[in-house]
Amino acid sequence: MTVMEISNLKKSYTPGKLAVNDVSLSIQQGESLGLVGESGCGKSTLARCLLGVEKIDGGSIIYNNTPLANANRKEFRDYRRNVQTVFQNPTAALNPKLKIKGSLLDPYLQFQRELELEHFTFSSKQGFVEQLLEAVELPKELGDRYPHELSGGQKQRVTIARAISIEPKLIILDEPTASLDVLSQGAVLELLSSLQKMLGMSYLFISHDLAAVYQLCQRIAVMKDGELLDIFQKEDIYDNSRHAYTKELISIF
Amino acid sequence: MILSINDLTVSHGEKTIVDQVSLTIDKGEWFALVGQSGSGKTMLSQAIGQLLGPNLRASGSVSYQGSNILEHPKTEMNQLRGKAISYIFQDYHGSFTPFLTIQQHMDEYLQTHGVKEKKKRKNMIKEAFESVGLDASLVRRYPFQLSGGQLQRVSIALALLLEPDILIADEATTALDSVSAHRILSLLQELQLKTGCAILFITHDWRHVARYANKIAVMKDGKIIESGSKQKLIHQPEHVYTKQLIQAAPTLPMRIKEASKS
Repeated sequence: MTVMEISNLKKSYTPGKLAVNDVSLSIQQGESLGLVGESGCGKSTLARCLLGVEKIDGGSIIYNNTPLANANRKEFRDYRRNVQTVFQNPTAALNPKLKIKGSLLDPYLQFQRELELEHFTFSSKQGFVEQLLEAVELPKELGDRYPHELSGGQKQRVTIARAISIEPKLIILDEPTASLDVLSQGAVLELLSSLQKMLGMSYLFISHDLAAVYQLCQRIAVMKDGELLDIFQKEDIYDNSRHAYTKELISIF
Repeated sequence: MILSINDLTVSHGEKTIVDQVSLTIDKGEWFALVGQSGSGKTMLSQAIGQLLGPNLRASGSVSYQGSNILEHPKTEMNQLRGKAISYIFQDYHGSFTPFLTIQQHMDEYLQTHGVKEKKKRKNMIKEAFESVGLDASLVRRYPFQLSGGQLQRVSIALALLLEPDILIADEATTALDSVSAHRILSLLQELQLKTGCAILFITHDWRHVARYANKIAVMKDGKIIESGSKQKLIHQPEHVYTKQLIQAAPTLPMRIKEASKS
């Protein structure tokens, strides 16, 4: 089943130049799709379009048979609930004045009326926070701390816990490991993979690190200068039909 | 041997950040210092050039041309820094003054180090720019008008302007994407072969050093826990932590095959 269908998406910031140029992609339920490219290739712009924070200039993003551009208030709210995100910089993604438990509870409290959780159960705030912290392998005492008291890797785990707290259909991971050091990077990749097995959501994993994408994803898409150059199954990475640019990327790693 | 560090300790009050580190860097080699955040690798690199903050104290010795440069007076050290030992940092925006153009940065650098003739300075800047593969017209731009990769190229051009014996690159590619990082690393290698300067390359990412380094040292909690040739550390790491570092970095499957063959 297709979770999201992106067709001929276009986005431009300066007239005559497309930051995202005619990109079509579909994301299947339960899969991890990797999106690779160097800085400035348009991968984060694409993510911002998918999150609905950028207006698109052409094409469509279809979720649940509804084009995002035509969605009414209720449909958009449903979309926002089911498409969650994890950004590169966890420090900027957490409110410094809220304790970790405050950040973790926020999405649930926003959506609790329309929410039916399958995996997590909400009986008390404290219990819910503990379940989430346990899911991302953090000690449950951390709920009472502030973001600045945590390490970068711990903070990124918190933002992941927040993203999964309302059991979305899709999580957009925009360079989630780029600001972490190597040991935490490996651990976060493993965590993401085991969470997917547990909860069954899809990932769109955006990164410049082809090797990290290879580790987590089943399908890999390659972008350059706003265009989608190549998309392939992980097993076919060394296939001769790969785009010349994909081959160049492979040679780096 | 170009630089020899003996029992270097950096401490902050009672706390020891770098703990009796000894290592030697040979002429023209690429020495990689690998470790996690907080392992003390940056403090070690800053101690070499007397760049430590006022609360930090360095003891031990760093010998360069037969003298302990930790004891050099400030003025002498200012001369040495840039001419003999130069730096490239991770934060490329922090390395430049926002209201000076690239040209002004380079000009100031050369003037400080005693290149008096204006024409000579101009030529040197032009040459340096070409050597890092940048278009000469970019010298008139301000730092924020360049991309991260371009700024890091300018940093390299600046650092190599006076042909130092050793270049200390502290996470110079960490803030760049892997494609730009790769280009910067191959550029460094090319310039290293041309100028013969040694590189002390500090990184947390194993994959950045696997291809370029000659020697690797692994640092943890302020101590060097293992060091040796690249071949030895990659294929027969002894320390558990070294193995962890190697395994943590994701690699493509072919790369592993290739590595085991060589």
